[in-house]
Amino acid sequence: MEYVAPSTLEEAYRALDADDARCLAGGQSLVAMMNLGIVSPSRLVSLRRISALRGITAERDGSLRIGAMTSHAELAALDAPVAGAALLAQAARVVAYPAVRAFGTLGGSVAHADPAADYPVALVAADAVIEVGSAAGNRRIPATDFFRALFETALGRSEIVTAIIVPAGPAASRAAYEKLSLVAGDFAILSVAAIVERTARVAVGCCGPRPILATGLALNDTALREAARKIADASDPPSDHRASAAYRRKILPELVCRAVRAAQQ
Amino acid sequence: MTSKLPMTLNVNGEPHDLIAATTATLLDVLRSSLELTGTKRGCNHGVCGACTVLLDGKLARSCLTLAVDVGERPVTTVEGISGNEAFSPVQQALIDAGAIQCGFCTPGFVIALSELFAREPHAGREQIRAALSGNLCRCSGYVKIIEAAESLAGAAP
Repeated sequence: MEYVAPSTLEEAYRALDADDARCLAGGQSLVAMMNLGIVSPSRLVSLRRISALRGITAERDGSLRIGAMTSHAELAALDAPVAGAALLAQAARVVAYPAVRAFGTLGGSVAHADPAADYPVALVAADAVIEVGSAAGNRRIPATDFFRALFETALGRSEIVTAIIVPAGPAASRAAYEKLSLVAGDFAILSVAAIVERTARVAVGCCGPRPILATGLALNDTALREAARKIADASDPPSDHRASAAYRRKILPELVCRAVRAAQQ
Repeated sequence: MTSKLPMTLNVNGEPHDLIAATTATLLDVLRSSLELTGTKRGCNHGVCGACTVLLDGKLARSCLTLAVDVGERPVTTVEGISGNEAFSPVQQALIDAGAIQCGFCTPGFVIALSELFAREPHAGREQIRAALSGNLCRCSGYVKIIEAAESLAGAAP
């Protein structure tokens, strides 16, 4: 395996143009998969020295542009007044353990697209946009289109996730992230991200190959629970060592209600 | 063919020149090349915390860190935690509380608690529990580990 650590994006794009070349961000998923023999890249392109992938900046329209190499710990410490960014910060606080949060990155997790991960759910609920770069230029892909299937994204060959843009959203909106896991730090059994204003916009994770989005949900208890039951009925959750599909469907309505209530508080 | 690269790692305040496979983790290099076997290989995929070291002053899984990607960032292992003393205050507290059973997880707990108390000398129970959430003890000796940490928090000036 070759290893390169370029200091500019242009060099990184060139280095990625090889069969089985992979980006190395924080390494918290990729190196684990390499150790387990699941992937063996021909070339690793470390993104660690590229300053263009770092930093959190407020855009003119009130949205927040978060560099792809922002760590979970940096994101967890974000004091965000905007609902979408606050949601992302809440999700970052429950990603794995302190050591993983110190080095794992937002961009790495987004590109990996584990259906049990926390960011895909939060980004879909926040209506965030994934900024992707390549030698051909940049493009912006809505999170709702970016996550396509199990570990599958809209990312093309030689493209790098460069930033995440979280829109400001309505001023009165509030957010909450609810995660149910066997122990703190484990991947979710089920997770729900909610943005609430006059109605709720909800994304459910770990209940299929990509986050499920439901919008315009009425906030009163009966209607909300009924809507959540419909999401559960239409979902295709996995059965794995953490929980059965039936269990996930059964707890989904309760977790949706909890997330919406938590956002309102 | 796995290629190898020369590198200089700054471990416990000393530079070490070595040649390692590009696929070698920091854990591999610490244990095999530098013979610093205090850092343990448990699960080797980031779950158990036995391989925890400080990288650039932050808690890191050495099994999820490629040696070649460490670069200039300083590494501290359990061998470097006590300086010139026999034991650091964290290590002494664990000994005094009887918080060591088989001992395999202990280096990881020592590193995690050292990082916590460097940052929060008066950390409370919840902070201690959060700081240790990424470290597994298969003997399940958590009660005494947390008691040791609490004694340290109380003793801090």
